[in-house]
Amino acid sequence: MRVPTSSRRQLAVGLLAAALLPVAAQAQAPQPIKIGMQAGITGPAAADGNAAVAAVKIAIDQANAAGGVNGRPLELVVHDDQGKPDQAVPLANRMIGDDKVVAVISAGFSAPSRAAAPVFQKAKIPYIAAIAFAPEITRVGDYMFRVTSVGEVQGRAGALVVGKLLGKKKAVVLTIKTDFGKTLVAGFKEAAPKFGVEIVKEYEYGPGDRQFGPLIASIKADNPDVIYATGFYFTGGPLVNQIRAAGITVPIVGPESLSSQKFIEIAGQAAEGTVITNVIDWGTTRTEVREFLTEFEKRTGGKAEAVAAQAYAAATVLIAALKAANSTDPEKLRVALEKTDIDTVIGRLTFNKLHEVRKAFPLSVVRNGTWQANGVVDDMVLLTPPE
Amino acid sequence: MTFNVGLMIELAVQGIINGALYAMVAIGLAMVFGLLRILHIAHAGLFAVGGYVGVVVTNASGSFALALVTAMLVVGLCGMLIYRFCYEPILSKPPYVALIASVGIFLAIEEGLRLVFGDYGLTFARPQLPGSFHLVATVRYAELAVVVMAVVLFTALALFARHTRAGMAWRATVSEPAMASSFGVDLRRVRYLNFFIGSAFAAAAGVMVAVLNNVVEPHMGAVPSYKALAIIVIGGFGNLQGTLIAALLLGIVEAYGAVFLSAWLDRDSVAFAAMLAVLMLRPQGIFATAGRSGGRRWRIGELFRPARGANP
Repeated sequence: MRVPTSSRRQLAVGLLAAALLPVAAQAQAPQPIKIGMQAGITGPAAADGNAAVAAVKIAIDQANAAGGVNGRPLELVVHDDQGKPDQAVPLANRMIGDDKVVAVISAGFSAPSRAAAPVFQKAKIPYIAAIAFAPEITRVGDYMFRVTSVGEVQGRAGALVVGKLLGKKKAVVLTIKTDFGKTLVAGFKEAAPKFGVEIVKEYEYGPGDRQFGPLIASIKADNPDVIYATGFYFTGGPLVNQIRAAGITVPIVGPESLSSQKFIEIAGQAAEGTVITNVIDWGTTRTEVREFLTEFEKRTGGKAEAVAAQAYAAATVLIAALKAANSTDPEKLRVALEKTDIDTVIGRLTFNKLHEVRKAFPLSVVRNGTWQANGVVDDMVLLTPPE
Repeated sequence: MTFNVGLMIELAVQGIINGALYAMVAIGLAMVFGLLRILHIAHAGLFAVGGYVGVVVTNASGSFALALVTAMLVVGLCGMLIYRFCYEPILSKPPYVALIASVGIFLAIEEGLRLVFGDYGLTFARPQLPGSFHLVATVRYAELAVVVMAVVLFTALALFARHTRAGMAWRATVSEPAMASSFGVDLRRVRYLNFFIGSAFAAAAGVMVAVLNNVVEPHMGAVPSYKALAIIVIGGFGNLQGTLIAALLLGIVEAYGAVFLSAWLDRDSVAFAAMLAVLMLRPQGIFATAGRSGGRRWRIGELFRPARGANP
């Protein structure tokens, strides 16, 4: 049978339309905004990395449930840096080249974050470090932001707690040999004289150490009236446990990195009374904070600690900036981030000229086996970040 | 700083406790190296498994003694399995092949523990052996238990090696494998025994570390993996007495170093500084019995020649 030419043309048009239909349908559904996330989800950083990813997913899910950003859903693309700097650069290139992310939240540690930062700066992709303390990161360039206070700032807060709030004058300082530990102690030493605190002795230990018998024997001989102990739950837990087992009863003050419930589990009864400069205000009545804490516990089966809260806050800041910029244009997004002034789960945040965060430190104390609210350090002059 | 005698004694005691732990871990590595010339890095993974079994069984059964015995048996068996399925098939290859396989197993154990038991590790439901006593120095009961355990285990090992047939066969095989074989010693059985004992000792150390720190973590084997290596180098590559002395010495040096050198020298780097010094000045190790036939002299080059007893 011969098909008339006109019908043939109609057929061709029809087929073409049919072929294009799915494309047209796709074009109507809004493209998701891709947000990259760097974290150590295997290897030695895995505990923090996985907690941070879970926290950021909560923020993304909440934003999507509320209709996304400017009508577009958010999509999180997570890459594992294994806690290693050599993994960070290829990972950054994949995020930029393959995933085409518009911005990145990093829950990577200092070393991998420091390695990835210049790659994102060069590509002009905003990069928000949630937990990396390495001072160099924000100095890499104007697309770098940090929502955690650098160690020096928190160390100053620690000195205020020791000298002003506890009224102690003779401190022994324990430095964990990491970027974080060293900067914390630098800040503590800088501010200590302001609060009449004398540092009778300083010890350093490695992140691999779990047995502190020799240090504790020496601390006993130093006879301090307070101990400022930097470290993480996996060093601080055994440390506090062993300090108390050796019969030392003076107060122990530490940084936010002890804020994991695991610290209390490891140290057991010995953890009671430990005071930390935290990022989570466990006494808060703000609904969005309560919601986050409950949702995190529901999803992971564990209590949120500083890392999770800071990662969540980084996501809050980024989502707000995306909304404010009303665009995914990197330049507009950067400007919106610079103007950040927002209440998050870690309190009200703004950035200074160097894109270091300005925020107060809620204090927490261990009572009856849990972290509980214990006041706040909000002397914003003392807590001025570097510029 | 004024000289404080009390502190010096405390530090010596802490050093002995450290040394006892190092000895329990390093002995297994020295035994495997002595017998097969393989650097058994996965040994540190077995140490971690021991700690985990100790915590899990204690929490499930409430009995720490049962947990300790279970950990030693289970991990001893794991050691035998690693020999059977990993090292035995590649004995004819140069030892660095086995070394690579061993590193692989070590990483697999670490990540396996992480996947099964979680990122944060485990703690005892109730602290074990809490409290401390003061006698010359302040010692925790858990620390006393470490030293007592090391003394008991090493005494038992010495008696076994000197006074039982299996023990004599084992010693004979370590010093003269070909000769022992021609006298009818079953080399394979000796190797199984070797892995069982070494791994069980590491498990005991793992359980005691779990008690001391009240935590086991997936990566708890990381530090022992290289520190034990330094110890067997200092101790003379497979020389068991040398390994024990090196472990004790290192424990004591580290205890003083942790207090007096910590600002300049990392605690872990003390071991490696000592290892480098030994390799430069006395490459056969401090305690090597030099010149003995088939003896324990060892050079780095051996790593690239076929393993000992490749064709039993």
